[in-house]
Amino acid sequence: MRKTPWFLAVSAVLVFPLGATISAGSAEAAELRVGFTQDALTLDPANHRKRETETIIRNLYDGVMTQTADGRAVPELAESFRQIDSLTYEAKLRRNVKFHSGDPMTAADIKFTFDRLTKEKAMGGQTSPRQSLLGPLADVLVIDDYTVHFKLKAPWPVFPRMLPVQEVVSKKFVEKVGHDALATQVNGTGPFKLVEWRRGDSIIMERFADYYGGAAAIPPVGAAKADRVIFKIIPENASRVAALLAGEVDIINEVPIHTIGQIDRSGKAKVVKANGTRTFFIALNVTRPPLNDLRVRQAANHAIDKKTLIDKLLGGAATSVAGVLSPESFGYKPGLREYAFDPEKAKSLLAQAGHANGLDVVLDTEGAFKDQAEAIASMLTKVGIRTKVQVWEGAVLTPIWRGEKKERDMYLTSWGSSALDPTGIFVPTLRTKDRGNSSGYSNPNVDRLLDAAETELDVEKRAGMYHEAEKIVAEEAPWIFLWVPQDIYAVGSRLRGWEPGSDSRINLHRAYFAN
Amino acid sequence: MRLGFVVERLLQLVPVLLGVSLVVFLMITLTPGDPVEIMLGNERATPEQAESLRREMGLDLPPHERFVKFVRNALTGNFGRSFFHRRPVAEVIAERLPATMELTIVSMLIALALSIPLGVLAAVKRGSILDRIATVASLIGVSMPGFWLGIMLILLFAVHLGWMPVSGRVDFSHEVPRITGMILLDSLIQGRVDTFLDALHHIIMPAVTLGLAMAALLMRVTRASMIEVLQQDYILFAEAKGLGRARLLMRHALKNALIPTVTVAALETGYLLGGNTIVETVFGWPGLARVIVEGIFSRDYPLVQAGVLVIAVIYVSVNFLADVLYTLLNPRVKL
Repeated sequence: MRKTPWFLAVSAVLVFPLGATISAGSAEAAELRVGFTQDALTLDPANHRKRETETIIRNLYDGVMTQTADGRAVPELAESFRQIDSLTYEAKLRRNVKFHSGDPMTAADIKFTFDRLTKEKAMGGQTSPRQSLLGPLADVLVIDDYTVHFKLKAPWPVFPRMLPVQEVVSKKFVEKVGHDALATQVNGTGPFKLVEWRRGDSIIMERFADYYGGAAAIPPVGAAKADRVIFKIIPENASRVAALLAGEVDIINEVPIHTIGQIDRSGKAKVVKANGTRTFFIALNVTRPPLNDLRVRQAANHAIDKKTLIDKLLGGAATSVAGVLSPESFGYKPGLREYAFDPEKAKSLLAQAGHANGLDVVLDTEGAFKDQAEAIASMLTKVGIRTKVQVWEGAVLTPIWRGEKKERDMYLTSWGSSALDPTGIFVPTLRTKDRGNSSGYSNPNVDRLLDAAETELDVEKRAGMYHEAEKIVAEEAPWIFLWVPQDIYAVGSRLRGWEPGSDSRINLHRAYFAN
Repeated sequence: MRLGFVVERLLQLVPVLLGVSLVVFLMITLTPGDPVEIMLGNERATPEQAESLRREMGLDLPPHERFVKFVRNALTGNFGRSFFHRRPVAEVIAERLPATMELTIVSMLIALALSIPLGVLAAVKRGSILDRIATVASLIGVSMPGFWLGIMLILLFAVHLGWMPVSGRVDFSHEVPRITGMILLDSLIQGRVDTFLDALHHIIMPAVTLGLAMAALLMRVTRASMIEVLQQDYILFAEAKGLGRARLLMRHALKNALIPTVTVAALETGYLLGGNTIVETVFGWPGLARVIVEGIFSRDYPLVQAGVLVIAVIYVSVNFLADVLYTLLNPRVKL
């Protein structure tokens, strides 16, 4: 028999009397608990730029549009949504929507919400940090109580896809309590009402009985099934998994890959995955030797055994990509030719480029991706691209690579596009001198295609432009194209009615427990 | 205790706090990384929008002006607005500090409750098997990293035995109107025994995790100091006079032997306040240390500056209290 360590024995003595008298708070059948990585920064939907905050808020507030699990934008508070001309979109609102206070929602609330988001200093002297997410939105016109027109300054086909990340607030309520109060007070139109926010610890919500039912395109429609929902903040991965296995919570996010087997074997919970929105790649500095030589960049792509990396390092929870776009994204082209793992071809390309004896480069990355970078470096080194990994803090590394001057070699990084539209990923990372163009890539043809697609309203034509641009980029290889990792969640085995989506949301309106 | 001493100590606080503020300000300002860029992430923002955000955060001012502004405002209790929480820093700190204080106090109590009796026992029975066990145990206690111990406790007591909650301060069914923000204290003041027990149930694992390492250290200090005192002439004299063993140990030896223990315990408060970061993360404890670390990663300058300042004030105050305690333990110590 193994000896019990003394500290455990001491702890057992200390805790036993309490353990025996108090049962560890088990969830009631209709109380659903989420073990979540981060607390909300605020409950004001217009005053943050954080996905985790959005995930929590989305259970309290609804938007004009929402997103399906497979990434389509569909009307939510709107009954219908259509484009009238290249600069105008019309939303017809539902007539039976109430705020938690009981007040009806009308077009005036929509205008107020979007003015608050887009106008300078419109939040009690502050400007919304979400302003830039609405691109060229110029104004919202109230046509009648239940119709609004969104007027843009320039054509922007991605506009409907940006609406699911903006939630509608009550004009009357904000005018009564003030803008600052929205950080902690909630009067939304969502399926749950706020009960209490214990900062850093939990957010407690209860069912809103007068809920209009949610998006018609996402059945079942109706009031929330759970009586109460609690987001319990557990930042540490191991503790989150432990809380799930101990039955303290019913859903957890960001499941560490090495615990997948443990969870699935427990019989108490199972792992569920959704395709993420983040493309991982290695930006290659095309502005200086040795990576300004196409053959070296192609050799680097041929040197990587992505299948092994995905299987061994990512637990199989990632999809290999041949280009920029995730398979879920608008404009994704199946069948784009992928660089095959071929070390011999890589060596021969290097020899052709005059590097028969190999060359030395540095691969920059952040601490979180150190393992992946080390594995990639060893594969590159094997074909003759002798790679040293340098680990940095993200806040330091990003400006180095995003700056105009490109002085480093390789950068293992990623770019997310929650709207799953090329505008959010292709344009910023590969258009000449755009904000996330780390590799310094510049091709006038690609720029022309991306610019034209940005304002092209014909869906087929627009997709065609992205196909063409992606084909050029794949051939010119400014990146080592890697993968799109899946978001990994785990749920208690009795939980039904919730599946993870590609937008990292945990909307609990339809979730319930099986008997 | 002279009034002059108190005044002197209070005056000493001024350069200390000014120094802490300056060092933290310099470190965070010199660290590369732009809060505006971090906040905007990968999303589209025009240079004008980024500039407007920068102005709102007060980052358009040169560093020396920012520091002077911070100190001037801090003197009036205004620590500015947190960049990421988007509300006054004082509010964020006021919410989080009581949880950290509560955890620190309970950890310290556990540490003292374990270390003093064990230290005395080990000294009295010096060289015995008990002494050796206590010494080895304290070595293990000092060597165990908090995050590992925390996770082991969770796995054993929460997952396998189901006795303890994994995280949080109190179960959701308990509502405690806030008085001090320390749930144990608030529930006692309001006569809520069930809430008190539930909060105690929640705090034990994090407090044991933090307290054990400290207990191990304090035990070694108490043991060493006790051994030294027991060899003093006055102890031999008292023993020769036929003074009872218990009275001799508790009244004559321990009181003197505790001075180094008090010193180390006060110094280690800093360790507890800082060491909380890991334990707060492992146990989902909504304390100040965790929020400061998050603030460092997001370059939330006002939050980090004010948070560190508050911890510095607590640290200096605790050490001041330790000085006062010396006079009680040994009347020959004059302040």
